[in-house]
Amino acid sequence: MAAAKRAALLLVLCLYTAFAAGPFVWAAMLSLRTTTEIHRNHFAPPNPAHWDKFAEAWFTSNYAVYFTNSTQVVVSAVVILTVVGSMAAHCLARYRFRLNRVIYFVLFSTIIFPPQITIISLFQILVQYGLYNSKLGLTLVYVAIQLPLTIYILESFFARIPSDLFDAARIDGYSDWEIFWRVSLPIALPAVATTVILNFILLWNEFLYAVVLITEEANRTLPLGIQRFIGDTQEDVGMIATGLMIAIIPVVVIYAFFSERLIQGMTAGAVK
Amino acid sequence: MPAGHQETSRAGALGKPWGTIGAFLLPSLLIYAAFTAYPAVRTIWNSFHRVLPRSDEAVGLANYAELMRDDIFWRSVRNTITWACMSPLIEVSVALLLALALYAKVPGARFFRIAWFTPVLMSYVVVGILWLWIYNFDWGPVNVALRALGLASWARAWLGDPKTALASLIFVTSWMWVGFNMVVLLAALHSLPREVLEAAELDNCGWGGKLVYVILPLLRATLLNLVVLSFIGKMKIFDLVWITTKGNPLWATETVSTYVYKRAFEWTTFDLGYPSTIAALWFVIVLAAVLTLTWLFRLREKLEY
Repeated sequence: MAAAKRAALLLVLCLYTAFAAGPFVWAAMLSLRTTTEIHRNHFAPPNPAHWDKFAEAWFTSNYAVYFTNSTQVVVSAVVILTVVGSMAAHCLARYRFRLNRVIYFVLFSTIIFPPQITIISLFQILVQYGLYNSKLGLTLVYVAIQLPLTIYILESFFARIPSDLFDAARIDGYSDWEIFWRVSLPIALPAVATTVILNFILLWNEFLYAVVLITEEANRTLPLGIQRFIGDTQEDVGMIATGLMIAIIPVVVIYAFFSERLIQGMTAGAVK
Repeated sequence: MPAGHQETSRAGALGKPWGTIGAFLLPSLLIYAAFTAYPAVRTIWNSFHRVLPRSDEAVGLANYAELMRDDIFWRSVRNTITWACMSPLIEVSVALLLALALYAKVPGARFFRIAWFTPVLMSYVVVGILWLWIYNFDWGPVNVALRALGLASWARAWLGDPKTALASLIFVTSWMWVGFNMVVLLAALHSLPREVLEAAELDNCGWGGKLVYVILPLLRATLLNLVVLSFIGKMKIFDLVWITTKGNPLWATETVSTYVYKRAFEWTTFDLGYPSTIAALWFVIVLAAVLTLTWLFRLREKLEY
């Protein structure tokens, strides 16, 4: 009886797994088949596998450009976020001063802002400063939208470092900057790594700000490129699937190596 | 003397070297001021103006008055609020069941956890296209399965039918977020004191009783957190709708976000004032809703303990 119950439970879990992961497996199969093959049977395995479709998407469908743009924008945003965010988090966790909690609250509360409250004006502002339709403009906006979460995660970690450590460092003659750079940051490396991975994935997937702030083909990021590609070639299911896989692969690779850290970062705001 | 010395060293570490504090905070505050605070204030300023590419004109509350009469806006509000109220219920309850299943020490729990979490890591663009195919009328797996089961009359263009479009999209976001909620709840379950659960077992409390009287009250804080988080996420929803239906058919899936975008950048009115008005009002509504939710939950907490 207990064994039967267990088997039923396992069956339910496996069915849910098929439901959760099935679409990706299907997309992976589609990405290796030509559209003609797909229209003969939408659910057949890729036999033979057309790996050359990836080269075709990369070189002839402009995915190389989209991929490079995404990488440039996201990597520079993540670097700036990490430096700027950890400086602020260290300061808010380490120094006691009036306004400390006010500043923390003001920065953090933007997490619940609906993006519309800034997006129309951001469009106007970036146009004014010649940053509209540029990767630099998008990068700066990306830094701004991820800053609250970054500071939130890092501040709670920095605050848990025992302050004796800082007193000791100060007695050893470390300056404020050295304490941050050579004591705080190395100890907080796991939390910093979490924010790096988390910000990378969230920004890699970002669509709304990109669609408002970028219109030029040469500056499109991957999500925009894919959207454009489906607009141009509604029916070419095979090639669209290949494009999707190109966008997914970096995320899958990161997840394969850092699944626990990524889960931790994603759920950081929800666990009490 | 030694005490005094310690005092100064503490003051040094935690005191008020304003120069240093300023230097550490300045970059963040500048970015915040330039790309969050200023745009937000400017949107509110916009909402009282007609904002054309080369000229602004103050119109007072005219935009707000027009908004009150805007049927599409109210339709989009209704859709978004439906979404934001349905999603937390579905996501959190299914996630709780799955978390309880994994909590019962099944083999491969680690694998299930990692697999179920995957959808939330994908962009809405990717997810949207995948589900456009899944809901495809001719060859989407949903209709194919229905026809195979002899339920051909149930097959339909799920996203093209005003009756099913919104529900179909809500289903997609649930598919995406259940794994996330499950992981959080599983972590919360694992952090529960074992003795309490065992005591419930000894008292011969059935599964249902254990769930209602022991587990749910202990998970309260986490559950409410997840509800608020899911609610906020759905109040913002844009990408998925934009990729799949663009608010069609007949505004059945129009959300506030997509409507703002359309009015600002798609309709050829060239006026940024009116969409700013929508954004400003929506901002107030979201803020009020989140504050009310947290306040309500706090209130109940006080009553119970």
